[in-house]
Amino acid sequence: MHVHNLPAEPFAAPRGADRGSSDRQPVVVARHVTKTYGRTRALTGVDLEVRAGEVLGLVGHNGAGKSTLMRVLAGLEACDEGTVTVGGRETSGEAGPRAAEFRGVRMAYQETSLCPDLTVAENIWVSSRHCLPRLRWRRAAGDAVRRRLGEMFPGHGVTSGDRIEDLSLAQRQMVEIARASLVDRLDLLILDEPTESLGPDAARSLYDYVRRLTAGGVAVLLISHRIREILSVADRVAVLRDGAVIADRPAAGLGEHDVLALMGAQVADRAGSGPAAAAAGEPADRPVMAELRGATGSGLHDVSVRVGAGEVVGLAGLAGQGQQEVLERLWRPARRDTKVHGSRAYVPGDRQRSGVLPLWTVAENLIVTAMRGIARHGLRRPAEERAAVGSWVERLSIRGGPDAAMTELSGGNQQKVIVARAFASAADLVLLDDPFRGVDVHTKTDLYRLIRHEAAQGRSVVWYSSENAEMAHCDRVYVFRAGRVVAELAGEEISEEQIIAVSFAESDGEPGGPPAESGGEPGGPSAESHDTRNRPSAEPDGARNRPDGARNRSDGAQSHE
Amino acid sequence: MNIRALLSRPWIWGFAAAVLVWLIIVIISGQGGGQTVSLALSLAPYLVVVGLGQMLVITAGPGNIDVSVAPIISLAGFVSVAVTTSTGSAVVGVLAGIGVGVVVALISTVSILGLSVPPIIATLAAGLIASSVTLSLANGFTAVPDAGLRQLLNVRPAGVPLLAVAVAGVTALVIALLRRTIYGRSLIAVGQNRRAAERAGIPVARIIATTYLASGALAGLTGSLLAAYIAPSADLGTRYLLDSVAVVVIGGTLISGGRAVPVGVWGAALFFILLDGLVNLVGWSTAAQNLLKGGLVLLVLFLAGGGDRVAGTPSRFRRRPRPAAATTTTTGDNTHG
Amino acid sequence: MSELLAPALPALPTRARMRRTAPAVVSAVAMIIMIAVCASLQPDVLTVAGLSLVLSATVPLVIAAQAQMTLMSVGDIDLGIGNFVGLVTVVSATTLVSSPATGALILLALVAAYAVLGALIHLRRVPSLIATLGASFVWLGLGLFALPTPGGTTPEWLASFGTWQPAGFPAPLLPILAVAAVVYLLTSRSTLGVRMRGLGSNPVALERAGLRPLASRVIAYATAGALGVLSGLVLASQTGGGDVSSASSYSLMTVAAVILGGGSFHGGSAVPWGVAVGGVTLGLVSVVLSLLDVPTNMQSAVQGVIVLAVLAGRVVVGKVLR
Repeated sequence: MHVHNLPAEPFAAPRGADRGSSDRQPVVVARHVTKTYGRTRALTGVDLEVRAGEVLGLVGHNGAGKSTLMRVLAGLEACDEGTVTVGGRETSGEAGPRAAEFRGVRMAYQETSLCPDLTVAENIWVSSRHCLPRLRWRRAAGDAVRRRLGEMFPGHGVTSGDRIEDLSLAQRQMVEIARASLVDRLDLLILDEPTESLGPDAARSLYDYVRRLTAGGVAVLLISHRIREILSVADRVAVLRDGAVIADRPAAGLGEHDVLALMGAQVADRAGSGPAAAAAGEPADRPVMAELRGATGSGLHDVSVRVGAGEVVGLAGLAGQGQQEVLERLWRPARRDTKVHGSRAYVPGDRQRSGVLPLWTVAENLIVTAMRGIARHGLRRPAEERAAVGSWVERLSIRGGPDAAMTELSGGNQQKVIVARAFASAADLVLLDDPFRGVDVHTKTDLYRLIRHEAAQGRSVVWYSSENAEMAHCDRVYVFRAGRVVAELAGEEISEEQIIAVSFAESDGEPGGPPAESGGEPGGPSAESHDTRNRPSAEPDGARNRPDGARNRSDGAQSHE
Repeated sequence: MNIRALLSRPWIWGFAAAVLVWLIIVIISGQGGGQTVSLALSLAPYLVVVGLGQMLVITAGPGNIDVSVAPIISLAGFVSVAVTTSTGSAVVGVLAGIGVGVVVALISTVSILGLSVPPIIATLAAGLIASSVTLSLANGFTAVPDAGLRQLLNVRPAGVPLLAVAVAGVTALVIALLRRTIYGRSLIAVGQNRRAAERAGIPVARIIATTYLASGALAGLTGSLLAAYIAPSADLGTRYLLDSVAVVVIGGTLISGGRAVPVGVWGAALFFILLDGLVNLVGWSTAAQNLLKGGLVLLVLFLAGGGDRVAGTPSRFRRRPRPAAATTTTTGDNTHG
Repeated sequence: MSELLAPALPALPTRARMRRTAPAVVSAVAMIIMIAVCASLQPDVLTVAGLSLVLSATVPLVIAAQAQMTLMSVGDIDLGIGNFVGLVTVVSATTLVSSPATGALILLALVAAYAVLGALIHLRRVPSLIATLGASFVWLGLGLFALPTPGGTTPEWLASFGTWQPAGFPAPLLPILAVAAVVYLLTSRSTLGVRMRGLGSNPVALERAGLRPLASRVIAYATAGALGVLSGLVLASQTGGGDVSSASSYSLMTVAAVILGGGSFHGGSAVPWGVAVGGVTLGLVSVVLSLLDVPTNMQSAVQGVIVLAVLAGRVVVGKVLR
């Protein structure tokens, strides 16, 4: 019976209570770690130390090597060169999930690693079976997880007999974090984007718990895109860039800008790509391309959204607040509350699952939507298809050309193909489902420009993004919370700060509270768009001449993703 | 085309195995091989036609399989012979057989798309219904197949059966269908990644429906011809369930969907027919015949391997190195042949 | 907790549970209706002897369906189980009589063959659907090899089990319930079951936790093989002889039984009690039809229609409960 060894109680006697010192025991040490997958060098020589009793924040762009580094530190994969030392012992090259050295290193995955068909207690058995008794393991696992969840997230509403598939996204994340922390001897807890689907209260209680853990001598490695969160929780911040740790600083005294600069945030050229330059015609006079009128049901509550021709409409807010349901309704308008005039195309965000056709070449992937329009009587016209593919490959400078296999392309180039697939068709309305996650800054900039250009040609775009900074490229933005539109922003009102303020505001009050409520009302849109029309044209230079710091901030944030 | 490019073609193995078996037959029997080939060519087309339908279904992606082909063949056999006798026209009879196949497939299609019944259960249920109708028809069935059609099926100018030529034409049509038509491209896209195909604006339900109906029609055609060639019976189609799947697998069609190899069906069908001939020649029992077939299917399957089971790894599918000559077209080679 | 979470909370846990048990309930209702129809036509059905007679034909099917369910819980399908059960009847009517030790060894070897098949399916990453279809040729060939025409006699002990008539309760209920209970303990309560269902549910999670997916799959196949052997023995005890094609319809019928019992093709769930209900329901169809004087020709059609009707009922119930 080792259940009682599970560190369920807050530690009574914290070791090494002096925060910020570097004389504490290193728990996991990586030295010159490299890792190569095929042609990509994911890690080019990482040196990193995680010490007992500290929270180490790890930041970096997508593709900087964060996930690979985590897999190596958690013992899921062996590194090619270099060494990983856990608790003073060098690990054998034969790393794997079964390696005994890594038993004290636990990781909570962003996408969770729970089995949806199993109950909470059964999932705990899967990952913590070494610490559970052979008999009555179900009860022991249930007790342990109930206790841990109670400490971490008071009021979680999860019982150990619930199946994971019946839990909400936030609850799954809670179970995942609790799962990771349940082990007889916890040395290092790796949290990968732990708060992505948690509410602010849950996030706060999680970090409280993290503090208690570190006070007891456990090391915590925190990975997050939310730099402010990292700065407020971590003792040290390590910045990963191009597969190596390029900076390792105490968090105290470090500002958000400093971190962004260290990450290599580039000042993307926004000239000519902002809404100001592209706003075509009078927004109020735009014919309506698509409309949701008081849509309710399947996660939405009285949502009204209006999309004009040639308009880029953003759907913002925290992830999973109803934005994707809006896209779904526009994509398959089955109900009476949804009206779409014209043809549609869809750009999925989850490339591998709903974008890539893996056996095909770039050309075949690109043209699959447009070929319908090009064909005559159900027969393809290869020459025309080839011409269309050629022009798009050139326009987006897709590496490898039309005949490269889709799976040989990098993520960014795959995404370009999938975006081109939608825009190559004759669709009047293009739906973007957060498609730019994990895409590098340059590609993003290209694609933003493409979106503005296509909108200027009269196409409408509905764009859901979890990246608030991206919303700056929209003409109008609806901010969602709990399946409702809580604000409608237009033109200059659209800023990361504003969106964050609206999506987090009054989280303990009534939904749809004050900030920009008026914008959410029917009739509001046209009034708002009148303002939009005037303001941007009045100061197109103003946007460009903002102080460097401000530009750095918003552009950097949009690329740190 | 050089040897390496040829060997990288998935359809080559069926033909290679067929040639091997043919050589063994020639050696054992000590007679000229021409007659063997001619006989094989007159038997293989039936298997090819039903195999092409099964291939389309399997290409539609994981979980798609048509287990109703066997009952459809039996039923279509009776119906076409009965209709031929009553109308006096073999053409109408064959069309009636095809129609029966479509009707049975319609039951599966409605269940798959309307009731979200998994394809294997839907086609099973449709097949059960078809086999009941067959048994009722078989009771006291007296009509005999059309003599004219039977003669036509036996015509072998210069040793090449006319039917084989016609079915080769059908195969060419299927190849063109898969390469040149919107339906064909859509089917291949659906088979690779159904979700992605749906998001790319492909009417997935319509494609799936067309595919099952096509498989039913081809099975109905097989049944009509087979009944004229042999005679209608209640277990006319029984062996074709396993055989149709086996020729598709051995023919090199990707089992997980998204790549169809119509020519490979020919190679595998010839191989199967010649294997039957060999077993008869040596005097082996049906037991050995089944063992051999099953063993071969398993061998081919385990040697070829399948897709990556663990999701999330970058290369989900093994890719063969693509010959330089093939990279100049945009059409790709999802339809080898 | 934060009210942000509130709207995302699942409706009622009982509702989720209802949605999951609904398929088995629909099948159970169908089963009760069928028994009621039987009883109204032939009141003797409700006696112990009558129920024994009605249920006995369903026992081998139910056990084979449990084997199918075990494989479906890891996300695989077995299209060879019918011929496998047939092969077992052949073995028990031949070798098991002439030399019981060799016969028992052969049966063990068959279970091992299933485990090897599972291992190969896993290692070569081939679809189980096609691989087991290929294996069914092999089982058929082996069966024909041993016993080209139906015949032979079963060992005495097996035959006496087939004719066992306890007083007070219908004998066939015992194997149905006992096997369901064992399979329930194995797949739903034990850690082995967690491994199997975990494999069907999320193999990546299993691997990250250091559990071998290969082991899970091999265990599932070995279990299915053992249940297949049991099913074959019971079938042989009832028919009193061996016939390799006596159970060829099982391959597809067992899949239907699992689906009727609430199982799914996606893997991850184990529904042993539902499968018992689904299997009995399916097996009762032919009894009802013969009582109703439906010509034997039409029996398979009615079976097909009932499968579709029950699944359609499930779709309706699922929509209502959503």
